[in-house]
Amino acid sequence: MNQTVNMKVRLGSLELCNPVLTASGTFAAGREYSDFIDLSTLGAVVTKGVSLHPWAGNASPRIAETASGMLNSIGLQNPGVEAFCAGDLLWLATQDVPVIVNVSGHSVEEYVAVARRLESEPTVSALEVNISCPNVDEGGMAFGTSCPAAAEVTRAVRAVTSKPLIVKLSPNVTDITEIARAVEAEGADAVSLINTLLGMAIDTRTFRPKLARAVGGLSGPAIKPVAVRMVWQVASAVQIPVVGMGGIMTADDAVEFMLAGATAVAVGTANFVDPTTTSSVAQGLEAFCRERSIQSVAELTGAVRL
Amino acid sequence: MTCADETARDRALLERVTVVSNDRVAEGVGLIVLHSPRVARSVRPGQFVHLRVAEGRDFVLRRPFSVHAAHGDRLKILYQVLGVGTRALSLSGRGDEMDVIGPLGHGWEMPDTISHALLVCGGLGAAPMGMLATELAARGVAVSVAQGAPTAQRLVARELFADAARRHEIATDDGSAGHHGFVTALVEPLLAGDSPDVVYVCGPEAMQRIVAAQASAAGVPCQVSLERLMGCGIGACLSCVVSTVHGQKRACVDGPVFSADEVLWESAEIPPKH
Repeated sequence: MNQTVNMKVRLGSLELCNPVLTASGTFAAGREYSDFIDLSTLGAVVTKGVSLHPWAGNASPRIAETASGMLNSIGLQNPGVEAFCAGDLLWLATQDVPVIVNVSGHSVEEYVAVARRLESEPTVSALEVNISCPNVDEGGMAFGTSCPAAAEVTRAVRAVTSKPLIVKLSPNVTDITEIARAVEAEGADAVSLINTLLGMAIDTRTFRPKLARAVGGLSGPAIKPVAVRMVWQVASAVQIPVVGMGGIMTADDAVEFMLAGATAVAVGTANFVDPTTTSSVAQGLEAFCRERSIQSVAELTGAVRL
Repeated sequence: MTCADETARDRALLERVTVVSNDRVAEGVGLIVLHSPRVARSVRPGQFVHLRVAEGRDFVLRRPFSVHAAHGDRLKILYQVLGVGTRALSLSGRGDEMDVIGPLGHGWEMPDTISHALLVCGGLGAAPMGMLATELAARGVAVSVAQGAPTAQRLVARELFADAARRHEIATDDGSAGHHGFVTALVEPLLAGDSPDVVYVCGPEAMQRIVAAQASAAGVPCQVSLERLMGCGIGACLSCVVSTVHGQKRACVDGPVFSADEVLWESAEIPPKH
């Protein structure tokens, strides 16, 4: 029985050939990974955060390994939206894969300016508004930890973009479902979660933090149960699709997120461990469905038995 | 120009490799030999490999290692046991499999005009100097090596340097071999006596910075191989940035070898190891 599985999923008006995306910041714009995988085997490439002006990022060390995961405080280093459009985006235009651009800002006005600039770029299939980066002093996570601020950014970006709008949520909140509902009410087409969990590690030889910025975002398998729980809570609270991520290393991990309610998933830290992970997760998802005679991968979404 | 041309860069390979041998060669230092035909045949001096030491979820990241030597289908890697990753590596043995990404990075520049090279290394900074010394000697370049280590027991690659170098001077912190003191004390006499065309340096960053200044004062071009904590190793994650006069560069693809005069030295601090 060589039954074919329908791997297509939709995030608002954006149709993807399969549910596997790249988590912003772990895949640059995909060029480095194209040595290892065929990008057209992915649902979409989600780019590293792009801001209005160039950002230098944080001091080194910017990463630290922790049990079953890692901390990072890269700080959204990027060359700014103009350089992005003239560089990575031109390259992405030659690739056969939808492009979701992660949009970052220090202020509502900056998010809006980036979204406006990208509106006329046909290569950009959707925007992911990053209101959850824990590694920048102004903006970033501050917008994702308050309902009014999250709503304000979403409303402002919604007003200037016709592209599907995904809002990336922070787990560093008391109740993530409140934020999800707030951005849904302002016109978000989907939410993605979770960004990294704020963490810290200290070198006991030097008594100094392992990251130059002291604190950073925890990612990797260590955070997966937290992420699955939050995806399940949010998927139960909103009508819009959820993109689930946090520690996905294997197709089985991706299935878990979909059962919890995710329509699509993103692979992050695993890209550093094995640069072919996104592609193998996509293949593995299809194999999982075929082995169980599941006709459409979308049937997995929210299928957890309670 | 040390910035690799993005369009001309080599494709990195992901290769499944087998451990041929893994032996302790100095106090706290191992030498692992890997059967890695594709990477071994394409690696150039100063490049590195990103090694997945163990599969499992206790620790997830790969570890970058300079390639010490490459012969036929074999790669040799010198490593110091410093943390969970290198401890796991030290426990692997003949027949074990792991995977490598490589060859990675921008290695040592070896212009045809060089007739005399001075190599300065401290501790495991000797690792990326192995292929370099061998390659330079094969090209007929006169090689001088100034090598430092904490103690005689922690000196590595002595035989390789003895074979490749016309001059091999040693300094140890405790005086148990060679000059009693830091390797930097050997550099000025060698710069004056041998008149090298180029200085290659690898070791603790504080030492590299001093040697870079010594070379600059003597008017000799200097290349340094910098160490940073790495995530992806292929240029995507921006964990391993180096501040340069040309802006922030990535140690993994723009380096690890940089021209010393472009580096904006941050501090004398040695980065933490894993």
